[in-house]
Amino acid sequence: MNALGRVPAVFAFEWRRALTFPRLAWLVALAALPPVLLGVVRSAAGSDPPLEIAAILVYVLAPCLACMMSVFLGAAPAISAELEGRSWVYLAVRPHGPLAVLLGKYLVAVSWALPVGLIGAIGGSLVLMREVSWRLITVQCGLVVLSCVAYAAAFLLIGVIAPKRAMVLGVMYAIFFEVGASLVPAAINLLTIQYRLRCLLVRGMEIDVSRLERNPILRSYLGEEPAIWHVSLLLLMAVGFVTVAGLLLRYREFAAAPETEG
Amino acid sequence: MLIELDRVTRLYGIVIGVNDICLSLPTGAHGLLGPNGAGKTTLLNLITGQLKPTIGSIRVLGSRPGNDPELLRRIGYLPGNEGMYADVSAIEWVTYLTRIQGYSAREADRLARQALERVKLTEHMHRKISTYSRGMRQRARLAQAIAHEPEFLILDEPFNGLDPIARHAMTTMLRQWIAEDRSLLVSSHVLHEIESLTHSFLLISGGRLLASGSTEEMGSLLTAVPAEIRLRLDDPRGLAAELIRERLAESVRVVSEDELLLTTASSLELGQHLVQEAAAGRYQIREMRAADDSLQEVFSSLMKIHRGQA
Repeated sequence: MNALGRVPAVFAFEWRRALTFPRLAWLVALAALPPVLLGVVRSAAGSDPPLEIAAILVYVLAPCLACMMSVFLGAAPAISAELEGRSWVYLAVRPHGPLAVLLGKYLVAVSWALPVGLIGAIGGSLVLMREVSWRLITVQCGLVVLSCVAYAAAFLLIGVIAPKRAMVLGVMYAIFFEVGASLVPAAINLLTIQYRLRCLLVRGMEIDVSRLERNPILRSYLGEEPAIWHVSLLLLMAVGFVTVAGLLLRYREFAAAPETEG
Repeated sequence: MLIELDRVTRLYGIVIGVNDICLSLPTGAHGLLGPNGAGKTTLLNLITGQLKPTIGSIRVLGSRPGNDPELLRRIGYLPGNEGMYADVSAIEWVTYLTRIQGYSAREADRLARQALERVKLTEHMHRKISTYSRGMRQRARLAQAIAHEPEFLILDEPFNGLDPIARHAMTTMLRQWIAEDRSLLVSSHVLHEIESLTHSFLLISGGRLLASGSTEEMGSLLTAVPAEIRLRLDDPRGLAAELIRERLAESVRVVSEDELLLTTASSLELGQHLVQEAAAGRYQIREMRAADDSLQEVFSSLMKIHRGQA
């Protein structure tokens, strides 16, 4: 049995362990955030907003905020939690143990974040638009899936690179890179997950960007590549991040430092 | 061979964890002894492949440790620190780790139950680990190490924190393991714990291997080390003078009118000389108590040598 054969065991075990009241409460709050906030917006506006505006509002709250925070909580501490709890050693001395744990925890993070994002996206769309837009719902759900898959991989990698600072670096990555750098009209913005998701939102919702063609700065925010290009890149990024995390884990030593020596 | 270390050194930056260890251990049970901070855990981490040597090479059961799934299948490891999940039961935890070992859910469950029964934890195996006593947690930890029936069991300070009853139970379980012709490497800083399990020892201190072998072999290393001997006899002053003259004692002290305390680096010659004297009737030796020849003494003496105190 290789590492993949062991992943279901890790997934089932970690999924059960994650089923705690505080975690559930936190995820329910995250899932409720988009519908609640968009409900407030809708009641203040008094009528359905234009579809483009609705798409941007739901996108910011569900695939971006709710998904990013959900996977952050699950993926960033995946390895650091084991190291801090000193349980890593039990996993490290199993055949393919570290990789199985990495993949299993990645899937757990994605599987916990998906319902949060989907509830947020669907709920938010329905609350904001009395006239149901299936396109809005479908596109947002697709973005939720891609967001969870990609962000979970990114946070997982951060957690492996710097397990002792996983949460801090995760927050910094989210704020400075995914939010900050993705708004910089330069090549760096192409490296962000946010850029790909934003481009997919525009393509999926068929938002008319023809008027932006004369504005290179705005054009750099939304790209010109086809949707399949962005989807492929997002999936490649996710696979790449997880692969690098797996390789780091394979060759990195996490055993006790000499001061804890017995 | 169970373990082969060829000039193994492990550095943590400028700190030496393990220093130039050469060693070959056959299959069987062995004790790894040394005070806290001696490098025992580093050595075990190297053997289990969690650390790589900075210099030198290691082979365990003929394979190089470190990302070798085949070797990891054959090893069971009980780490020194607890690191258990408090929110799960022992059966869940051991089954989980056995599944990661590569067994199907059903097989892992069977092996976990079997291991927990072996460590006598069946009755409590459905309770959360957070409710366990120290001894129960230690037994659960041992269960995860033996559940997949490894050939070679490596235990890092398994007796730490156990009360006498739990120690006895642990010793009994490990004796049973050894009796099944399986290999064992157990580390401890408490000698009598190891002495009750095996008579093959590795003594490590300051990251260096000071000695290895049986109690007797280690004892033979000490022949050149001044040993303390206490004698009760009729004429301690006369014997003291004679031993100094014959250069059989390094130092003598007349404790009382019938007691002499001496140190000697020639225990064998002294013994022969005293037998001759007693047989000739020159001295009436009522009692001769050599320094304690238990492993504790061997250990203490080797540590003194290492520290330059002897």
